Amino acid sequence: MCLDELASGTLCRIIKVHAHDALKYKLLDMGFVSGAQVSVVREAPLYDPMELKIHNYLLSLRKSEAKLVEVELV
Amino acid sequence: MIKVALAGQPNCGKSTIFNLISGLKQHIANYPGVTVEKKSGTFSHQGETIEVVDLPGTYSFSSYSLEERVAKEFILNEEPDIIVNVVDASNIKRNLYLTFQLLEIGKPVVVVLNMMDVAARRGMDIDVQKIARMLSCPVVPASGARGEGKEAIVEAIMQAKTTPYNEFKINYEELEPLIEETQALITTDSPQASRRWLAIKALEGDSVILEKLPKVTLAIREKCLDFHRQYDKDVESFLAAMRYDSADVIYHQSVVEKQQGKKTATDIADGLILNRWLSFPILFLIIFLIYQSSIVYGYKLTDYTWPLLAAFKNFIIGISPEADFTQVPMITDFAIWMVNSANALLNYIPIFLILFALIAILEDVGYMPRMAFILDRIFKKFGLHGQSTLPLVLGGAFVGGCAVPGIMATKGIADERARMATILSVPYMNCLAKVPFYTLLLGAFFEAQMALMMFFISTATLFIALIVAKILTTTVLKTRETSPFVMELPPYHLPTFKGVIFRAFERVWMYIKKVGTIVLAVAIVLFAMLELPGLSDEQKVAYEARSDALLTSFYAQAAKTSYGEQLSTRESVSGLLNTYDDYRARRMSASPAQAGNIDADFEAKAPFYMTFIKPPADDAEAKTINRQLRNLSRDRRGILQEMKNDKVESSLLGFIGRSLEPVTQFAGFDWKINVAFLSSFAARESAVATLGSIYENNAADNLRAEEAMAQNSGYTPLHAAAIIIFMLLTPPCIATMIVVKLQTGSYKWMLFAIFFPITLGFLAASLIFTLGTGFGWSGVEAFALFYGTVIALALFMGSLPQKRINWSGGFTKSILNKS
Repeated sequence: MCLDELASGTLCRIIKVHAHDALKYKLLDMGFVSGAQVSVVREAPLYDPMELKIHNYLLSLRKSEAKLVEVELV
Repeated sequence: MIKVALAGQPNCGKSTIFNLISGLKQHIANYPGVTVEKKSGTFSHQGETIEVVDLPGTYSFSSYSLEERVAKEFILNEEPDIIVNVVDASNIKRNLYLTFQLLEIGKPVVVVLNMMDVAARRGMDIDVQKIARMLSCPVVPASGARGEGKEAIVEAIMQAKTTPYNEFKINYEELEPLIEETQALITTDSPQASRRWLAIKALEGDSVILEKLPKVTLAIREKCLDFHRQYDKDVESFLAAMRYDSADVIYHQSVVEKQQGKKTATDIADGLILNRWLSFPILFLIIFLIYQSSIVYGYKLTDYTWPLLAAFKNFIIGISPEADFTQVPMITDFAIWMVNSANALLNYIPIFLILFALIAILEDVGYMPRMAFILDRIFKKFGLHGQSTLPLVLGGAFVGGCAVPGIMATKGIADERARMATILSVPYMNCLAKVPFYTLLLGAFFEAQMALMMFFISTATLFIALIVAKILTTTVLKTRETSPFVMELPPYHLPTFKGVIFRAFERVWMYIKKVGTIVLAVAIVLFAMLELPGLSDEQKVAYEARSDALLTSFYAQAAKTSYGEQLSTRESVSGLLNTYDDYRARRMSASPAQAGNIDADFEAKAPFYMTFIKPPADDAEAKTINRQLRNLSRDRRGILQEMKNDKVESSLLGFIGRSLEPVTQFAGFDWKINVAFLSSFAARESAVATLGSIYENNAADNLRAEEAMAQNSGYTPLHAAAIIIFMLLTPPCIATMIVVKLQTGSYKWMLFAIFFPITLGFLAASLIFTLGTGFGWSGVEAFALFYGTVIALALFMGSLPQKRINWSGGFTKSILNKS
């Protein structure tokens, strides 16, 4: 399952980040490591990007990038 | 001396801590990545000099952004003694991720737990001593916003300098053998930094470190592949996960969250501000308020500041050499020209001040990234970024704005390509100084359809800017670096009054300093080009003869009165005329309350002249001379105006304008329009002034500029439509170009920003004018067609699919590079 498919309010755990290069480093630095818990706070008013809560802070991610984050529901 | 590097993640309040300990002021903002330049401050404590260098805020210490490279190169090359790590106590886990990377560098680290007040408000109980014990480094609680913790931080720095320090090590378990092997590869002639740190960074594939170790790069890459084969993990992910795990351990053992799961104030505010139905109304309201209070009210404020500038102008005229009837010394002309150029810029200061203060508030509050979040989807389609909203609005989303603050507001845009595209498309927005120009043309040629035309003009610009952004991002900017839209939405903060005001003044000052000097330099060049080579000898003789005739008739009239003797020389009449003009100029720019003072002033200075300027009620002869004086003043203005026109016509700029005619005729521009556009480069206001002065051929007919232009120019509304189209797309003003240079850091882009719009504007104007002439369109028809095309083109371009790389896999880079 990928992060972009989840509805607002869902809590999930990261399995693997399939991004490369700059995006991969950026996501790792922002705490997208295996096992980290992410909750989907909301979608933007125009349905993209999405607002997430990870490690107790808020972050926005475009869906095209969220697609690269493999997750499982908690 | 103790050299201290100040490091921390964005939004941790690093700038406030920097100001707190070094006592120096610096840009403070609540926006990821705004501190790009290196700032340092020096102070002494107990006889010891301490230098603090503020590193850019970075989430990590890898090399994937410019800021991170800058920070790491500083550590490697400048060898600080101590690293002070500012940690946002309310967001401790993610902040500790950076702390572990800093500890690994091998230098003594002092952790400053900032925003302790915010953490307490959120119900977080932080055991500071426990963190200090676990990390074996001093941990100082502080609150930069409240000014708490300065002594403790300085004390910790002093102690850290004298206390022996054992290198910090994280046990990376299965990676350890690899680290040791890599460490052995790093020879002693490598930089002075910790070899273990270099080894870890090299294994991470850090380009800054690998550049320093060219001989072993291949061997290290080989080891990483080995590790991947053996454990099915890549080194970067493994290290990141280990560091987050370590941060998690500290978080769980030293922080108790008493309000876990409870909604924070930020959560509640976001529920409204980012709500699907409320977000757009709120966004429009905020943009409208900014626009209204800065552009509209700020413009009204200029009514109060303008008299100051006018007084300055009168003062300069007062100290310049006086005119000898129609012979005005060039130095006086020059002084007036320079003051006018300076005033045109200074006039906008109230607007900028309000605007910059409001932007600073938005930055501090944390609304900027939210604005990007709301609008990203639209702007993404045109290659821009959600963060492009504010620059475009400031550039003039409604009736008028200014590209200068707009371009200055692009600084925080994280995506390099979108930032460049925004910088280059903001100048197409509706510039406030173009409005008088439009009003002049609309008044002259579109009196009946003025409202419709103004609507077209003010709404077309946004679409033009979007089209330009799309064109640029798919062509010249195509290869520019884009960064992923991974943006923190920091908690809302109340801005501090001091911080906001300070930043607003700082930015205005920067504008005056950087833009002002260059605008004045260009003004000098333009003056020379308009003034040289000057009138021919025959023209001079002819004008002199006309002046003499005027004077002779004045003498004759004066001789009929008892004042005749005193007013029979060129000197005395010139003096009277100059005093009269000066008096009128001062009275016009003064408030009614000051009028009495001015009268008294002139009475004291020139009592004799004042007899005629303000003749006593019982002196019929003085009144006669007053009448003559008024006529003479008007006639002199007429001659001066004609002289000026002749001078412009034969000037270098006039010559250039003429020599451009063969090309510009396709757009319907004659040399006069060309000169107006050329002179508007210094400040757009001068386009109106130049056109006005060219068309007011005979000052005696007292026509308004609009009427004069409609009657004397021989243009049709179609000409006017082509001129307006050209003006919509161009010309960029010099102040904007300076800011483009500052923000792109390159003269090449500045030149591009000058010539691309000119080409585009000329092509569009020529196309409309040539087609319009061929098909016999009226001005409004031609403009409506242009407007429709722009909208259609923008919608079409927005609907083009985004070409984005969102696949992965394939051969690794090393193979591709070889083939």
